[in-house]
Amino acid sequence: MNNLAIETQNLTRSFGELQAVRGVNLRVEPGQFFGFLGPNGAGKSTTIKMLTGLLEPTAGRIRILGIDLAGEPIAVKSQIGVVPEGLALFDRLTGPEYLNFTGRMYGLDRATAAERAQELLDFMSLADRPKTLIVDYSHGMKKKLAMAAAVIHGPKVLFLDEPFEGVDAIAAGALKAMLNRMIQRGATIFLTSHVLEIVERLCSHVAIISRGELVAQGSIDELRSGVEARHDAGQKASLEQIFLDIVGGERSAAPELSWLE
Amino acid sequence: MRLPAENQEQLRLIAWLRWRLFVNGLRTRRGKADLASKIILGVVIGAMALGIGPLLGVGSWYAIHNAQPYVLPAELWAILVVWLMLPIFVSGFGAESDPGSLLRFPLHYSAFVLLALGHGAFDPVAIAAVYWLLAMLIGIAVASLGAALWAIPALAAFALFNLLLNRVIFAWLSYWLAKRRTREILGLIFLLLIFSVQLVGPLSQRYGKTAMPVLVRFVTIGRFLPPGLGASIIMTGHAGGIAQAAGALGGLAAFAAVLSRVLSIRLRAEYRGENVSEARVEKAAAPTAVRAGFSLAGFSPTVAALFEKDLKYLLRNTMMFFSLAVPFVLVIVMSLNRGAAQGTPTFMRSGSSVFPLSVGYVILVLIGFAYNVFGYDGSGMSVLFAAPVNFRDVLLAKNVLYALLVAAEVSLIGALDWVVVGPVHGAILLLTVLGVVGAILVNLAIGDLISLYFPRKLNFGQMRRQQTSGVSILVSLGTQVVLAALAFGLYLISRLTGNLSWSVFGFLALDLAGFVLYRQVLASVDDIARKRRDALVTELCR
Repeated sequence: MNNLAIETQNLTRSFGELQAVRGVNLRVEPGQFFGFLGPNGAGKSTTIKMLTGLLEPTAGRIRILGIDLAGEPIAVKSQIGVVPEGLALFDRLTGPEYLNFTGRMYGLDRATAAERAQELLDFMSLADRPKTLIVDYSHGMKKKLAMAAAVIHGPKVLFLDEPFEGVDAIAAGALKAMLNRMIQRGATIFLTSHVLEIVERLCSHVAIISRGELVAQGSIDELRSGVEARHDAGQKASLEQIFLDIVGGERSAAPELSWLE
Repeated sequence: MRLPAENQEQLRLIAWLRWRLFVNGLRTRRGKADLASKIILGVVIGAMALGIGPLLGVGSWYAIHNAQPYVLPAELWAILVVWLMLPIFVSGFGAESDPGSLLRFPLHYSAFVLLALGHGAFDPVAIAAVYWLLAMLIGIAVASLGAALWAIPALAAFALFNLLLNRVIFAWLSYWLAKRRTREILGLIFLLLIFSVQLVGPLSQRYGKTAMPVLVRFVTIGRFLPPGLGASIIMTGHAGGIAQAAGALGGLAAFAAVLSRVLSIRLRAEYRGENVSEARVEKAAAPTAVRAGFSLAGFSPTVAALFEKDLKYLLRNTMMFFSLAVPFVLVIVMSLNRGAAQGTPTFMRSGSSVFPLSVGYVILVLIGFAYNVFGYDGSGMSVLFAAPVNFRDVLLAKNVLYALLVAAEVSLIGALDWVVVGPVHGAILLLTVLGVVGAILVNLAIGDLISLYFPRKLNFGQMRRQQTSGVSILVSLGTQVVLAALAFGLYLISRLTGNLSWSVFGFLALDLAGFVLYRQVLASVDDIARKRRDALVTELCR
């Protein structure tokens, strides 16, 4: 049990009468690049918020690297990095100030925080805007900065909510290379994305949530073989086909719109 | 300007859209509360506006009946000032709703102009102003039907001029408000205007006689400005000076024509798809080495990092930073009052009296910093919850900054008092300092709790819709009343008994109680923040 990077037991979150997440049991091994998929409103962001301590579960238990999140939140948070939905930046700081601040919040000493901030700014191509406030950054720049802040302390588990949305192809390439290097060094990455091609290319394992419930979990190959067995398909199923098959969507031909020439 | 049928339909649809937005806004409790407060305000302001109409009508009748030259211009000036200034003060330098968002639809320019003018014409202040002009017309008609014949084009042209001027001002204000830096500058001008009002009384007492000739000259120049021209059309037309009245009407029409030209420059730019970006354009600069952050003697590195962040936020928040100057304005006002002739209360004539008062004002002005400490953190609140930090440290950093701010302000205000009002007696200085320490501790303790239980998101450089929680206002003011009563009581005991030590011990007891309370609160904030996590993130990260 202790060797799991992320483990949830019966994780549930209700908002009034609505159960946004219901009895989710996740198991993510260390070193996995894990994709968390689901249709809009399925409960992905709610789950990731609970896993990172931003939202209190109504019921259930979360263990990160074997540590109970509710019991030892500070110990868990020291080991994880987060790029949450909406990015959550102190937008009246400059990029260097924000990275410096974040590094020190995660316990780095002043010199190390400044040194790593500098390296990350260079890596993310943000070093040429030393005086610009974050509020004046473009969306892509904010995304890169949020990513840099999430890794400044060298987390063992990284949670990314839609990390590539709004990031240009060059920056996305650099980010993917960085994430792959983190995986090679033993880190675990848990990401959500609506772009299934990215998830298919990066992730070895996925879980699919639909209407608040976990409907599939495993390696992409395992899920693929299940789908292929059900449909007796001759060719290799893509993640998109797997996803649609599991959540019940159909890629039928759209009906014609008579007035649309 | 005749609109094609499809554009008439579009305007109907836009009216329907506004209606639906209004109705749908009532689904939330906040929307209903907003409507209720608008109805209450509307009834009060509407009653006032209705009451003013007959007064203006009687005034106009009197002006025509008795050939009084100054009454009509005065009435028209008053209407102009209200029509222009009230909507600006009500909107509080917030951006208006943006008709530019409708430009994605195939909207004709004429329809776009009508929408822009409609915004001004259906403003409650504009409706009230038109009602007042009608009341004036009735008053004039009762006095003389001949004068009323001149009053109809005069008041209509004046109304058109006001509508155009209102639209021009709002169009350009919206343009400037779209940019953050100019928005902050306009906000500062707005605050300066408010402070300037406080200076009117003392300055007019001191310099009133000297300024009078300048004011008289302004009245002469005012004849050639729209309110003067409007009055001149009626008065000279009524007196038989047709050429002079026609000339004044032409002058008023010229003013309106210039304004429509200025307005069309702005509206055409908007119609072409001008998009004023919020972001400041900054060129790429040579990379500079990242500087190591603050260290704060006696505090953990986390507290130092948080303190540095909060200090930078304070320095970059123009409006918040500017409010630190407010107490100094008060001292200057007091000193002007002191220099004025009789009428200055005795208690405002010595440094020993003014110092405790101005220190009390400092605490009142800075109260907002203590009772909504997360207001400006916004979505950064998630960072505080995601990072491995205790909320005790987060609040400690904010509290240290607040205490240092109060201490710095009190020291500077003390020095200013000393220079402009006079020296402070040693005993008063000691009691005030002891009182300030107690007030800081009590306010921090209660403020931290209120900040966790009733947080409100605040926006930088914006004055509009900065709604602090009602509970927060109530508790903070209640606390100041209790503290002021305690301080006054302690001072009174010493005064009556002639023994200073009573007050000293009393204030020391207050300081000790404040310290114990503050420690208790600080020990409990982690638990409270954990329980209030959802509410805090929801309110501050929206």
